[in-house]
Formats: sequence, C-alpha cells, structure tokens
Amino acid sequence: MSANLQPTSHPSVPVQTGAAPNAEKPIGPWRQTWNKFKRNPFAMTGLAILLIFVLSAILAPYIAPYDPAKQDLMNSNLKPFTGNHFLGTDELGRDIFSRIVFSGRVSLTVGFSVAAVSVLIGSLIGAISGYFGGWIDIIFMRLIDVMISIPTLFLNILIGAIFGTKFIYIILILSFTSWMGVARLVRGNFLQLREMQYVEAAKAIGVSSWGIIFRHLLRNASFPIIVNATLMVGGAILAESGLSYLGLGIQMPQTSWGQMLSNAQEFMLIDPIQGVYPGLCIFLVVLSVNFIGDGIRDALDPRQKMHLSPRRLEKWRAKFSKSTK
Amino acid sequence: MARKILEVNEMSAGFFVNKEILKATDRISFSVEEGQTLCIVGESGSGKSVTSLAVMRLIDYAGGMILEGDIKFNGEILSEKDQDEMRSIRGNQIAMIFQDPMSSLNPVFTVGEQIAESLRLHQRKSPKDAMKMAIDLLREVGIPSPEVRARQYPHELSGGMCQRVVIAIALACRPELLIADEPTTALDVTVQAQILDLLQQLQRETGMSIVLITHDMGVAAEVADRIVVMYAGGIMEEGSVEEIFSKPSHPYTVGLLKSIPGFEAKTEEDLYTIKGNIPRINQLPGGCRFHPRCPHAMDICRREEPGFFQLGNDHKAACWLFEEHSDESPLSPRINIGSQGEVTV
Amino acid sequence: MGEYLVRRILQSVVVLFLISVFTFGLIHAAPGGPTQIFLSPGLSVEAGKIKAHELGLDQPIPVQYLQWMGNILSGDLGSTFKNNIPVGDILWPTVKNTLILMGAAWILTLIIAIPWGIYNSTKEYGLSDQTASFISYTGFAMPAFWFGIILQSYFSLKLDWLPLSDMYTMGKEGNISDLFMHLILPVSVLSLGMLAGYLKYARSSMLEVLEQDYIRTARAKGVKENKVVFRHALRNALIPLITLFGLDLPILVGGAALTEAVFNWPGMGRLFVEMANSREYSVLMAITLLGAVFVVVGNLIADILYAVVDPRVQLSKGGKS
Repeated sequence: MSANLQPTSHPSVPVQTGAAPNAEKPIGPWRQTWNKFKRNPFAMTGLAILLIFVLSAILAPYIAPYDPAKQDLMNSNLKPFTGNHFLGTDELGRDIFSRIVFSGRVSLTVGFSVAAVSVLIGSLIGAISGYFGGWIDIIFMRLIDVMISIPTLFLNILIGAIFGTKFIYIILILSFTSWMGVARLVRGNFLQLREMQYVEAAKAIGVSSWGIIFRHLLRNASFPIIVNATLMVGGAILAESGLSYLGLGIQMPQTSWGQMLSNAQEFMLIDPIQGVYPGLCIFLVVLSVNFIGDGIRDALDPRQKMHLSPRRLEKWRAKFSKSTK
Repeated sequence: MARKILEVNEMSAGFFVNKEILKATDRISFSVEEGQTLCIVGESGSGKSVTSLAVMRLIDYAGGMILEGDIKFNGEILSEKDQDEMRSIRGNQIAMIFQDPMSSLNPVFTVGEQIAESLRLHQRKSPKDAMKMAIDLLREVGIPSPEVRARQYPHELSGGMCQRVVIAIALACRPELLIADEPTTALDVTVQAQILDLLQQLQRETGMSIVLITHDMGVAAEVADRIVVMYAGGIMEEGSVEEIFSKPSHPYTVGLLKSIPGFEAKTEEDLYTIKGNIPRINQLPGGCRFHPRCPHAMDICRREEPGFFQLGNDHKAACWLFEEHSDESPLSPRINIGSQGEVTV
Repeated sequence: MGEYLVRRILQSVVVLFLISVFTFGLIHAAPGGPTQIFLSPGLSVEAGKIKAHELGLDQPIPVQYLQWMGNILSGDLGSTFKNNIPVGDILWPTVKNTLILMGAAWILTLIIAIPWGIYNSTKEYGLSDQTASFISYTGFAMPAFWFGIILQSYFSLKLDWLPLSDMYTMGKEGNISDLFMHLILPVSVLSLGMLAGYLKYARSSMLEVLEQDYIRTARAKGVKENKVVFRHALRNALIPLITLFGLDLPILVGGAALTEAVFNWPGMGRLFVEMANSREYSVLMAITLLGAVFVVVGNLIADILYAVVDPRVQLSKGGKS
C-alpha cells in the first residue's frame, strides 16, 4: 500500500547552495572551505595578526636589536624610544622589544608543538581505543577520566617539579595533559566506524586494520581535529605563559611572555607600562588563533542556515509588502 | 454546495535566503469544504509543507512570509492577521500536526500536561478540569490506561502512541480544520494504518475538515476525498480521488502512480522512475515547470506555462496536452493517458 | 533514582582510587627514584639510608602505596620536609579561602551569564549579543594574570579605589566589608574567563532548543511567544548547561590558582605554587588529590542534578512501554 516516490535529497525549504548554478567544474572541498573562510573578516584578521607574529618569531635574530638576555644595569628601566630601545628596558637593562620578539619565538614554538604532539597522541589513542574496543578501550577511557579530573595547572606544575622544566620538557608536559579531548573525539568517530559495512568489506579483501584506521581518520575525523588543534595552540600558549609567570615554566636565560609579566608585576610601582606589552602579545596571539579556529569551524559547517536577525527579518518583510501593496 | 472552510487564492509564499526571496509556492489556489479531506501530494521540495505553514502563519517563524495572494478561513482573511490574532486561532479553530511525533513533544513535560495546556489556553479551563479532559482525550484517541499515560513523559511512549498524543493535543479544542503534515511518514507501516483509521474516525465524529499532506499516493488513496498534486511550487492536477485514480491525466501524476512498485501488477518490469530531479526553486525551467522530465513534452511546453484545463466535473490539470482545438497538439479533442502510459482518445 | 545514585557514587570512588594510584605513580616515577624526591640533598649516604627506611621508602611499591593511602584516609597527610609541619595544618586553612574566591566568582558568573546569554539568543546579532560576543572572545583569549596585573595597576595603584592584594587588610581579619573590597578584583579576573564560556553556551543552547520540533508544536498550539521561550524552551536549554558546570571544574580550580598567585590570595593555589618552588612533595600530593576530589565530587553532583531535572535519564534499567 505504501509507495514511496522517487526520493530526492532536496529539503522542503529551499536553500541556496554555495556553488553557482552555472558552475561547470565542481570546486573541491578544501577550496570551498578556503573561499568561505576568506569571507570571514574576523578569521582573516586573525590570520594576518598570527602571520605577523610567526614571521617575527622566525626572523627574531634579525629584527631584535639586542640579545634578549643581555643585561645592562646602567641602562635599566629606560622609557620607550630611548636610544635604540624601541620599548625601553626592564629592571636589568634588557631591551624589552628584543625580549618580546624572542619570547614570541618560544611561546609560538611551544604552542604549535604542543598542538601537534597532542593531536598525534590523542588521535592514536582515540583510534586504537575506538576501533579495537574491549579492554584497551576501558583502560584508555579510565586513564582519560583520571587525567581530566586532576586540575591541569596542578598536574603541569607537579610533573614539571618532578621531571624538570627544560624547554623540551615543557612541550612534553603540556602535550601530556592536553591530548584527552582529541582522543575522545577520534574515539567517538571510530565507534561509528566499527558499525559500518565497508569495514567488513575492506577486511574481506585483506586491507589491514591499520590501513583502515589511517584512511578513515584522514577522511572523516580530520575536520574537527583541525579545529581542535587550532584552538589548542592558543590554549597551550596560555598554559605555558601561566607556568612561566609562576616561575615554573620557561626558565632563564630563555625568555617567555609569561616570564616578562612576572617581572613586570614586581616593578609595577616603578614602571607599570612594562606589563602591557607581553600580556598584549599573548592576548593578540590567542585571540587570533581563536578567530582562525572559529573561522575554520564555520567554514566547514555544512549547514547553510541564513543567520537573519529578527530585526533584519522585519525590515525585509516590511520592504517586501510595501513593494507589492 | 457545501461550505468552504479554507480557501487559498493565488498564494505565493517564500523564504529569505542570502538576501533573496525564494518562492516556494507559486500562485497556488485550492479550497477545502466542510467535513472533507483534501490530500496535497508531492515530492520533497514541491512546496506542500510550505503551504501548510503559510496557512497557519507559522512560516513567519521560519524566516519566510506570504508574498502574494490570500488565505481565507471561514470567510476571514488569515493572511492579513497579525500573530496575536493568529494565536487565538491556532490550536483552537485550526490545528496542525507534524511529521515526527517523538520530537514534536516537549521532553520535559508530561503528556497530560501538554494536552491540558491547549485547554487551559483556549478554553480557560482550570488545571484540574483540563487534566481530566486531557485524560478523556487520550482515551478518545485510543490510548489504553489513559490515567497512567497522562503522567508519563514522551520518551516513555512508542512512536505510534506519541502521534496519538499529538492528535489529542490538536483535537483538544475541537478545531474545524486539521492540517496534518506527513503524519505517518515516520511510523511503522502497521501503525500508519492505525493512525489513518483514527483520523478518519475522529473526522466522522467531529465533522472537521482535514488537509493531509503526503508524498505517498497510497495514503492519499485511502483517506482523501479530493487530491491536489503539487510539483516544484505549482499545482499540476486537482480533482476528486475517484477521478485522479481512475483517470490520472497530468504526466507527473501518471509518473507518480507508475512509480508505485506493483501498482500495475507487472512482475518482470524494472521499477519506474521519473527521470531527472526536482529543480531548485530559484532554477525553475521556463514554460511548464515539469517539461524537462516529461516524456510527452512538446514545443509549447518549453515556451509557455500552461493554465488549467478542465477534464471533468471535478478534475483539472495544468498540461498542454489537454488544450482543446490546439494546432500544435497532435491529439484532440480529449486525451486520455491510461495508467500504462499509453495515450488514447 | 537510588540505583543510579549508587552506581554513580561507586564510579566516583573508583576514579578517585585510580587518581591516587596515578598521582602516587607519578611521584615514584621520578628520575633518580623517590629518594631524590623525599630526601633532601646533602644527606650522607648513610643518613640517607636511615631516613629512607624511616619513611618506608625501601618497601616494595604497592606496600608503600597502601601505607600512604592508609595514612591519607585516616587524616594523616604527611609532613613537610622543612620543619616537619603536618601538612594538614598548613592546608586546611587555605581551602576555605579558595572556596570563598571560587564560590563568589562562580555565583557572579552564573547570575550574569545565564540570563544575558538567553536574552541574546532571542535577539540574535543585536547590540547586546554583539557586546556579549566581544566579551566572550576577550575572556577566552585573556591571560588571567595579565588582566589581573592591569586591574591592579589601574584600580589599585593609580586610583587607589581597591586594595592591591591579599585577603584582608592587616588587622581587619574577619571583617566582612574588608573581605568584600579585597574580593572585587580577584573575582573580576576569575569571572571573566568563566563568563566567556557560559555566555556562549547559554546562548547556543537556547538557540538549539528554539530550533526543535516541539517548539514548533507549541507555536502551532497558539502559545504566546513569551511562554514559548520561558516555559517550553528554557528548561530544555538549561539542562545541558549542568553538564557544563561539571566539565568546567578542573579549569576553575586551575584558574583560581593563577588568580591567587596574582593577588597573593591565601588559598590552595598559592600554597601549591609556593610548595612547588620548595619541592615539598607531600603537600603537593595532598593538594593535587584534594583538587581531584573536588572535581570528582563536583561532577557527581552535576550528574545527579542532571538526572533529577531531565526526565529522559534512565535512572533504572526500565524500558519503554
């Protein structure tokens, strides 16, 4: 009795798609995403700012006029624009601008490295856990529960206190405490994968488990992982800065924005302006990264919902009824 | 001639998308008489759901509006009322039920509370009275142990029962018109039949009119008094259920019927599909909107959109094949396309 | 409900147990072994051996763990290396202070964020919404310690409206209005970060709910728009926020620690930092455990609350009828 007509995927509410009706070649998904991203002013601004910071980090030795660790007690606490000191000097006579630039190098390196390593660890653990299930899954899930229950700052400090705070250790420690989010994401994805038919089919022709895992990961989970990874860069920079501020992160002679802030606080009474620069840098970098991450997420969102504010909707309604009445 | 409960006149409704207005219905007209069941049949994207949203003026909440034409209910022009006025009509004189019963009910309120709300809103019943009446309504729609059920939450009920609850909510204030948008699509086949039976029984008891929207010709065959076939925002064919099923005329209607597997009891045939896809509303072909997919498309079909041609007492179709005394049409005066697709005079 | 409660509590206990194992394992995984951690350098090898035996460090690891847990559970948190002060004496007074700070910030955040976020969902892209969005982005990117320093240098040093740091002015301990003045800056700092998140999620939760079919049903019933939002939508929108409280806790505790460092607030966090600098591992372990207990209990409460408020949660193994 029940007869279904030829099914179409067309929703009953008409929706404009991104591809123009006269497009001849279908645009690839990456290109399409970039196009959407380009149209987001916040995302593009963030990208620009981040690029400036990244460039200055790479070119640090060339743009910094002084060695950031070089102390010059005769010239301490100089105001900006005194001599060659663009932003002045701190209480030990170190050029603030040079310190800022080199700190950028440190913080950005930490940020990107931690994001990369966490995503690597997290994806691996999540994939294995989700795909194989059973005891492996249970163990990893309990591990994740444990690690997210301990306040991250405490854990970071504790591990740092036990194992040391060398630069490479900072990266490892921060990665060690931030892979859990990605792991859960990937695991969820793989739980679905196990149900799917094509896994059976692939296995039947002899594709190895690892092959399946890798390919599935790339195809399905890459988008949310990318968004996650981007936002994690900001998180890692904030975490590193926090640790350094407390004196439990990047140690001298290396310099970090967090470190500079703790200096600045000590000498707030003498020269409060010193506290502005490093904090501003952290803020701008994290803000940019967040804009970019959100921009990527919005660009990847398949839903084409038109965001019309109620006010604009009313305006359109009024405009239309006026023209037809 | 029975009284017309609902009259839709040259109505176009559309949505604001990306700074444009996309028309989902294009000057459609139809009417429903008292006590009648009208089925609007069409594929996804035909504009049938939009029509019902427009009648209820719920389209305003979905980012759309009625662009031209008007809608009359009992002689009153609905399309010009403001939302405050509509609210006293919705759930009261006109009620609407939707496709997915489980998600149509609020998960944090009991089933009884949700029915009672209608009664308290429109009939100003006290909470106690409203709840009592709610229980009666549950019984009326065929739910056993209604006192127990009334205190349960939607997730504790099966799909079929949820739909009965939804019907109870709709019928609480004895509306004159019930609009049902694909009420059985999300249900199992056996439950579908039960719900359709229930609707017909309630119609007999209350004398209400029903507009039932569906993509399933089988459903239409079972409950409709009259059928309207919609395609890409326009009406292709309209008529009584007997006329439509015995003498389907518009090529689209014929295609729909032929698509039903087993309809013609031919065993060794491939499944028939209407070739092509529904055009997007902003990419309608010129001329007749169906011509790119029509096996009988003629030259005039590509150039001009056909009006309605009368085919019988209560039967009309928008197709150039039925233009009498036309020089272009090789077939005149009257064409019949049988259910096998063969053309006879 | 009873069965769910028992199940959840059991789960929490298991997690706490695993956390203790994890923390213990961490300490004992140190390069150089636990002796490096628990013994001060400079002890001669002989003295070292005696001290090690005293502390039970020559026992097999599982035995050490049981000893440690046994002590903890009976209230003995160990003592500091310097001056052998019982950890409990230094720790407990600070906990109260941290709770005051966290509690005040949390309450302030909820009072502002939830109503405002929900209002913004009804007037998407309006001025209020844009403002809140601005605050959200700022709060997510703002390093708490920088914000704190700026507030300090402006409101305290420059304008002298508010005290610079600490919990009480010397001599005014216990004075409520003094406490209030001291709370303003740190709470502002701590709240900003939380506000960012709650504003965003209250708004998006509400928006998601307003898209649901049952809201369409409510409108089709003729319910007034006001009631649709406040009666039909609100409860559904608030429920997922409860889960958010739970997930937020570990971050809140950490954030409080940083804020305490900036403002020299005498709480758990500041203590942790001090002790980290002097490598007082017994205190560090105790605070870590305490922080974890707080998070686990907080999550437990959130889950129970969720089960109470959302009728869909299967409390027992019942099925559909």
